[in-house]
Amino acid sequence: MNAILQTHALGKRYGKRQALADCTLELPPGHVVGLVGPNGAGKTTLLKIACGMLAPTTGRIEVLGNEPNGTPAQLARVGYVAQDTPTYSALSVGDHLTLGARMNPRWDAKLARARVEQLNLDPKQKAGKLSGGQRAQLALTVAVAKRPELLILDEPVASLDPLARRGFLRHLMESVAENDTSVILSSHLVSDLERVCDYLVVLVSSRVHLAGETEELLAQHYRIVCTRRAPSDLPAGLDVIWAEHSDRQSTFVVRTQTGLPTGDWSAEHLELEDLVLAYMERAVEPGRFTTTPTGDTR
Amino acid sequence: MIWLTWRQFRAQALTVLALLAAAAIAFLVTGLRMHHTYAADLAACTPADNCDSTFREFQSTYGPAFGLIQFLVIVVPALIGIFWGAPLIGRELETGTHQLAWNQTVTRTRWLAVKLTIVGAAAIATAGILSYLLTWWAGPLDHIQGDRWAAMTFASRDIVPLGYAAFAFALGATLGLLLRRTLPAMAITLAAFVVIQILVPAVVRPNLLSSTTVTFAINQGIGERAHGIEIRNGAAEIYFVGLPVPDGAWELSGPPIQDSSGHAVAATDHTDCFPGFDNPPAQGVGVAAKGTGDRIADIGSCLAKYNLHETVTYQPASHYWPLQWIESGSFLALGGVLAGTCFWWIRRRRN
Repeated sequence: MNAILQTHALGKRYGKRQALADCTLELPPGHVVGLVGPNGAGKTTLLKIACGMLAPTTGRIEVLGNEPNGTPAQLARVGYVAQDTPTYSALSVGDHLTLGARMNPRWDAKLARARVEQLNLDPKQKAGKLSGGQRAQLALTVAVAKRPELLILDEPVASLDPLARRGFLRHLMESVAENDTSVILSSHLVSDLERVCDYLVVLVSSRVHLAGETEELLAQHYRIVCTRRAPSDLPAGLDVIWAEHSDRQSTFVVRTQTGLPTGDWSAEHLELEDLVLAYMERAVEPGRFTTTPTGDTR
Repeated sequence: MIWLTWRQFRAQALTVLALLAAAAIAFLVTGLRMHHTYAADLAACTPADNCDSTFREFQSTYGPAFGLIQFLVIVVPALIGIFWGAPLIGRELETGTHQLAWNQTVTRTRWLAVKLTIVGAAAIATAGILSYLLTWWAGPLDHIQGDRWAAMTFASRDIVPLGYAAFAFALGATLGLLLRRTLPAMAITLAAFVVIQILVPAVVRPNLLSSTTVTFAINQGIGERAHGIEIRNGAAEIYFVGLPVPDGAWELSGPPIQDSSGHAVAATDHTDCFPGFDNPPAQGVGVAAKGTGDRIADIGSCLAKYNLHETVTYQPASHYWPLQWIESGSFLALGGVLAGTCFWWIRRRRN
């Protein structure tokens, strides 16, 4: 198995605060993986452990088949763009490219220059004077031109306006498509990921609640609307993820591996965002959607 | 990595280099003139006659500038710790740029080693150049004053400033790493440096090498050695002041005269020798001084029958360089320990 990222019961504790607990995950290569989850789910901690910035307190992790041990060999294979895309504000755009060239044996100077030109960045401009979007693009350029096999980005577009977001994600896609780089991209906004990710992981409170290829996940999930009934009254083979009951009507989000049987309901596929939200809500209140509806209605 | 460190440090390094060059020129211009005047004065005066007044005039001319410059040289290691040490790692952690640096193909151990080496070497060199310039420049003044053991003098001459610079730099860097913030690291570096500059001359330096103690018996012969007699602390302590120590020695302590069992003797106990001390005076009084007759010898001979003595403890002049080496070596070693702490911490990957 040549997973790009494989964790087993991974945990990280800061003093008394458990930032990540018992996280088991396996990501296949060749994807742009979207890691979604609410704030505090442990996304940043997981990604920092994956690139070797943090050491886990418990459990095992392998990235590209090796423990993230901070050796040059491993560092060369993994690119990382941290949250808020830090750059040296006193250094110019050109300085950042020199930095990359001096500190990475596999540096692709041509690619870096081409990207900076394409982005219309002035090489003499100080990074501190760049807009948030430009700074993120610069950080991405440095990470991409290093030619990593795996590129990890932690909420790279969180602080960008919609236009800069779109530009950043487009450049990300162009860069990784050329080089066959695997990507892990975290966000708490599904709309960001929808456009670029072909693999999705929903992480809530350190637990993986859903993982799979986006297309497949979308194909397996339905929203069905029917007369009010208990989840247990649905046919076998339907896994109820989420439910809502009104006086006369019940709405379910269900997952099925074998296709949806016909029934006395109307069914439709979900948007990715609704799908993710259904899993997040279930994760926050386990048991709420699988029990028989009581008198309280919405 | 060397490139990045230099690029980050370049502006500060060039500023300091320019300041050093300006300082060197200023030292050279004023220093040459001063050395020339000093040589001329020395040739013109005769010790028995007017040398003292010539030197006083010389000191009043150059004294103010001298005090200021000496203070600056003392302060430079603190400034290095504050402005080079504290932000070295602290600012990276504060702004998150360490995440950029640590994800290039360079281990963080190397990252730290290059940063500490390049900026640390610059810190030591800066202090070294300033110390050399001051030691040369202040030569005549130090000679007139004849006290190279003074707290400010010892700490700003020869090799001690190098040790302080290395220590202050490493202290700032370590605090920046541990606190992850620049400003608190700067503040604590400054506070620690001030405390050290007060504690070391007062408590540490005198005890680094064993000192010498001489004992003077109180009898008629003391009249030729002491410059005067003072009664202090009510009348509880009697001092024969100005007891001689060898040339260039650092006088550490001179307790009041004691009896054979080591207890201080009060003037009121011996009113036969100190007439009029039945009622202790409120403040210290000088009861005798040289040049006012034979009073010191008289009192000495009067006290002789009580078998009293006075001691003086000092570091001999020959201990100057050993103490310089021990002190700079100790602070250099402390700086090394702090740097080691940085490596240990950064390898634990706490960040």
